[in-house]
Amino acid sequence: MSDAIRLQVSDLRVRVPESGEEILKGVSLELRAGQVFALVGESGSGKSVTSLAVMRLLPDALAITGGTVRVPGEQREQDLFELSESAMQTVRGRRVAMIFQNAMTALNPVQSVGRQVAETLRLHTRLRGDALRQRVVQLFAEVGIPDPDARFDFFPHQMSGGQQQRVMIAMALACEPDILIADEPTTALDVTIQKQVLALVRQLTVSRQLAVLLITHDMGVVRQTADEVAVMYRGEIIERAPVDAFFHNPREAYSKRLIDALPDLTHFQSVAVETPLLQLEDVKVYFPIRKGVLQKVVDYTRAVDGVSLSIGRGETYALVGESGSGKSTLGRAILNLEPLSGGRIRFAGEDIGGLARREMLPYRKRIQVIFQNPYSSMNPRMSVGDIIAEGMVSLGLGLSPQERDERIGQLLDRVQLRREYSGRYPHEFSGGQLQRVAIARALAVDPELIICDEPTSALDVSIRAEVLDLLQELQREFGVSYLFITHDLSIVPSLAHHVGVMQAGVLVEQGSAEQILTAPTHPYTQALLASVPRVDG
Amino acid sequence: MTAMDFKPVLLWSDVLVFLLVIALTLFFYRLRRDPQTRARWGRVFSSRLGMVTFTVIMVYVGIALLDSLHFRRALPTPEGVDTTEIFYDNKVTSVLDVLLDGMGERFERTYSAPFALQSFEKSNMKDEQGDMYRGYEDLRHAGQHLSHPEAKWLNVLELSATALAWGLLAAALVVGVQWILLRGSKHPWQASWAVQTVVICLGVWLVYLSHYYHVLGTDQGGADVAYQSIKGIRTGVLLGTLSTLVMLPIAVTLGVSAGYFKGWVDDVVQYLYTTLSSIPGILLIAASVLLFQVYIDLNPDYFAIGMEKADARFIALCFILGLTSWSSLCRLIRAETLKISQLGYVQAAHAFGVGHGRILGRHILPNVVHIILITFVLDFSALVLAEAVLSYIGVGIDPSMGSWGNMINGARSELSREPAVWWTLTGAFFFMFVLVLAANLFSDLVRDAFDPRSALGRSGT
Amino acid sequence: MFAYIVRRLLYAIPILIGVNLLTFTLFFVVNSPDDMAVSQLGEKYVTPEAIDAWKRKNGYDKPLFVNAEATGAGAFTDTIFFTKSLKLFAFDFGRSESGRDITTDVSTRMWPSLAVALPSFVIGIWVNICVALMVVMFRATALDRWAVFVFVALMSISYLFYIIGGQYLVAKSWMLVPISGYDPEFQPWKFLILPVLVSVISGIGSGARWYRTLFLEEAGQDYVRTARAKGASEISILFKHILPNALIPILTGVVVLIPTLFMGSLLIESFFGIPGLGSYMLDAIRSQDFAIVRSMVFIGSILYIIGLILTDISYTWADPRVRLS
Repeated sequence: MSDAIRLQVSDLRVRVPESGEEILKGVSLELRAGQVFALVGESGSGKSVTSLAVMRLLPDALAITGGTVRVPGEQREQDLFELSESAMQTVRGRRVAMIFQNAMTALNPVQSVGRQVAETLRLHTRLRGDALRQRVVQLFAEVGIPDPDARFDFFPHQMSGGQQQRVMIAMALACEPDILIADEPTTALDVTIQKQVLALVRQLTVSRQLAVLLITHDMGVVRQTADEVAVMYRGEIIERAPVDAFFHNPREAYSKRLIDALPDLTHFQSVAVETPLLQLEDVKVYFPIRKGVLQKVVDYTRAVDGVSLSIGRGETYALVGESGSGKSTLGRAILNLEPLSGGRIRFAGEDIGGLARREMLPYRKRIQVIFQNPYSSMNPRMSVGDIIAEGMVSLGLGLSPQERDERIGQLLDRVQLRREYSGRYPHEFSGGQLQRVAIARALAVDPELIICDEPTSALDVSIRAEVLDLLQELQREFGVSYLFITHDLSIVPSLAHHVGVMQAGVLVEQGSAEQILTAPTHPYTQALLASVPRVDG
Repeated sequence: MTAMDFKPVLLWSDVLVFLLVIALTLFFYRLRRDPQTRARWGRVFSSRLGMVTFTVIMVYVGIALLDSLHFRRALPTPEGVDTTEIFYDNKVTSVLDVLLDGMGERFERTYSAPFALQSFEKSNMKDEQGDMYRGYEDLRHAGQHLSHPEAKWLNVLELSATALAWGLLAAALVVGVQWILLRGSKHPWQASWAVQTVVICLGVWLVYLSHYYHVLGTDQGGADVAYQSIKGIRTGVLLGTLSTLVMLPIAVTLGVSAGYFKGWVDDVVQYLYTTLSSIPGILLIAASVLLFQVYIDLNPDYFAIGMEKADARFIALCFILGLTSWSSLCRLIRAETLKISQLGYVQAAHAFGVGHGRILGRHILPNVVHIILITFVLDFSALVLAEAVLSYIGVGIDPSMGSWGNMINGARSELSREPAVWWTLTGAFFFMFVLVLAANLFSDLVRDAFDPRSALGRSGT
Repeated sequence: MFAYIVRRLLYAIPILIGVNLLTFTLFFVVNSPDDMAVSQLGEKYVTPEAIDAWKRKNGYDKPLFVNAEATGAGAFTDTIFFTKSLKLFAFDFGRSESGRDITTDVSTRMWPSLAVALPSFVIGIWVNICVALMVVMFRATALDRWAVFVFVALMSISYLFYIIGGQYLVAKSWMLVPISGYDPEFQPWKFLILPVLVSVISGIGSGARWYRTLFLEEAGQDYVRTARAKGASEISILFKHILPNALIPILTGVVVLIPTLFMGSLLIESFFGIPGLGSYMLDAIRSQDFAIVRSMVFIGSILYIIGLILTDISYTWADPRVRLS
């Protein structure tokens, strides 16, 4: 493996010209052939800005104010920042290529994927006609797209997320660049697909001697793919080390926190003997598919197809599955926000499936919910106090306004927010703070069960841990049960007593957390588990 | 003459427009409490363009309001008639007419060009000997004070200088008061003050010079064109606001219910607006206006004075425009409501068992207000433009009521004369263009500030 | 696809019935035939006999819904509702109140309308797209800001001014083309140039401004960044990526108008003396000929519904993501 430096960024500075705010405060890094350099950080740390600045693709609102990006040229070194725009166009795609986070939006929706890959070749090579098509098909085969010849004429929406990302990679590699910049290439993908795509990137790095800059927020991805790591925090690289050294001996406290967010598959919640609180028996939620002139129902989408499970008092049940597996629909059905097509839902022994709006009211107090996106789950025009009070008012808890204010204050205390916040509006808060407000809102009516629908997936890893800790504390304190819906197996061990794995509307496997995570029997669970990143690699 | 020498007249459109002003004031007062809305308005007014356009719109609205305070003057009791009863003039006057200082009462026989001293057309005249001949008649209300006609332009210049001095004095007073009140403000009030100064100077100049000349000439009936154009302001502004006011409740109620309740409610609402929008709008409006006109013609007793008849037709037009144009806003609100009902906070409200009424009132309505607002400002200019077209077709404003549409309507034949009569069209064009341009530019700013999509485009990664 | 179109056509029926009922209510219930007779005859000539005679002449002397005097099916067919409203469904428009056959009038007058409206439509869209593309090329510069200001200013000018101004300058002052009139046999293009020019220019403000917004919206999409990362130049991105994507909303926004081109433009046709359906409608409104207005409302609705269906079909054609079902 050669150690030649392929790209050297020194003292890169970026500002917002309008406000003068400095986004990057002197970032330096080197990319070497055949190695993956991972730039890790949370949202707003400046890692994506770094990658776009190197390509000189920053949005108009940002400006590069200093630094150099050197690449070895034919005769001598070149500084990309000194090239003319048209010279830069010959560098992009040919010498430095880039793949983006969300392949679905990063591909032109009205052009066939084959033509989009061919465009790169047209721009930088003399290939035309049949030879061009042959080359694209060959690239598709190389990145593992099945039946590449037929896929040439597919449109992006006709392919799965994993295949779209493979098209992006094919497009980036088409002109055999030396340097590949991958900006969160797997964030939008399910874990099983994520693993395959990362393996592909890793393999191409070696086989083509690419110098790769991998931008990610996910320490698991770093562990699986990178050779060297740099941690970014507020526009600066605060720590840089080879990957093994970094994971075993991080220097900065912040780095340590990021690493600690990785799952520990050795310690589990012990399962106590419980009294069942919620029991699902063969629950089905079907959505009709209509066809023909008269819109007759010809078939059903079986979103949830016969799920039975039981949650005890004070227990956490983690419902794990990838997007589209029906796990969120099941949560909504328990809340009576989705009509039931079959089966029974028993809550504290009573059948609450398909109750009418009014009959459901007494149970609304006892079953609460926390949603995934903290920003959309708060009405932007209501103050935090009003948001928390909403349930208390509508469910008629019979409190006087003073008592209500006092309770709002206590709840804010309990979720570690300041009491003064009750007069503020949602847009003044960060995602983590908003999710605490959501927890306070749910707790306000003293529920026995809280359905947590991916409550941490929109949060940065370091904040994620805090929110999960808070949820567990509250469980110990109030004895509340959680149905924890998640796609992320890595948060399960520290949190859940029981785990159920859902695939295509069916619960394929369930059991105690320890049993599922150490000795899974179903192949799908095994595949999921295999994709979970670990510290020890 | 007795102490009571006028009698207020309350036209229906006056009542409506003042109700509208009160409603809007309350609405904006309520909106102010929401910090996010305040920040967005702050964005609109932090630009000089926003200040300028807003001031221009406010000047128009102010003139329209002054022109909506109507009264009838008492007629002097005729000599020798012994009665305590007071008779009132059949002509309805507005406060604006008083401020314009008799500008609307200086009639000529027919066309005359701006600043002309003589009529535009030849007419039969008698010379000193009493023989008939064809010649240009001297105007009754222009240049009477001049000793000889050649001194006209010099005189105009002198008068303008005097008027400008008075105008600047008045502007200094008005701006000075604001300057004291708004010193600490971070908004660019200077832009607004500049516009105010220009408007005040222009206004004083116009009123002052109108005593001596017809600044924009006279039209076929001999009426002052500048006066006509100013009278058109009330019509334009009221039509733009009242029609939207009629349309809003329909569009909002139907749109929100369709998007929130879905199911058959949605089907019915969709059916209604598809049906309505499938009918060519202009035909529907024309037919409705004609039918209403038949009703007015058949029931002349309902309207005491001619102005009330014209006013009834005007309000009918507003209602017809409102009733036929709700479909596009309804569609927008329905789509937005569909989107919002899927959001977490509405779902959470359901999970708390919050009632439909409360969800609609607290979660949905406040979050579609921005669409209503954008539509309100956007439709305003469209309606002002539509008035001209409708008047041309013959289903617009009653010809006895001043409107730009009626002025343009006449301009077609005037331009084909030789030499062309261009000033009526110019007057209407200028006043209409300034209002519509200001409204359009302002609506752009409002949309940029309130439309979440455009706000998204601004912030970089 | 086929099932979809059939369903859309079936859906058109209740809409047309709604249109029909609405016009019927407006014309015969809100306003009785007696009112119409009075306004048609003019107040001077109103006598009960004259009203009856007028109603008989125009076929308004029947009951609204049920004719108690007639027998059998006649009880329903010999009514105003049947003869004046339901017959529209069979495209039987009857006679105008001045006695002319409306169907004949419509079929001869729609061609001049189309002769003006179609070129205006096609050239208008083309010009607007070109102008908008040019402005987008200079986005975020002073040129862009000024162009937007000019667009808004153009939008703020009443349509009537464009027509009057165009006639005054081009026809009257410069005497390049006739002021108005139309002759399908002798050099029709001479008469068409000015109306087409006026409609195109008057549409630039709002059209180009709208298209600019659409282009800019596409320019902010992720795939444009991807294309830049490939090394494509700004011009090629504009034409190969932004334009095809922005054409989808443009296309679907204008397709709905295509069928209504037959109806022509009220103002253009009346100002330029073109004997199309637009001026036909205007004359009908001015002479209060409700029979013609009713028929035109019905025709307009049908054309609009066809436009909606065409819009959906054009979606599938322009956007590979859309499948009708």
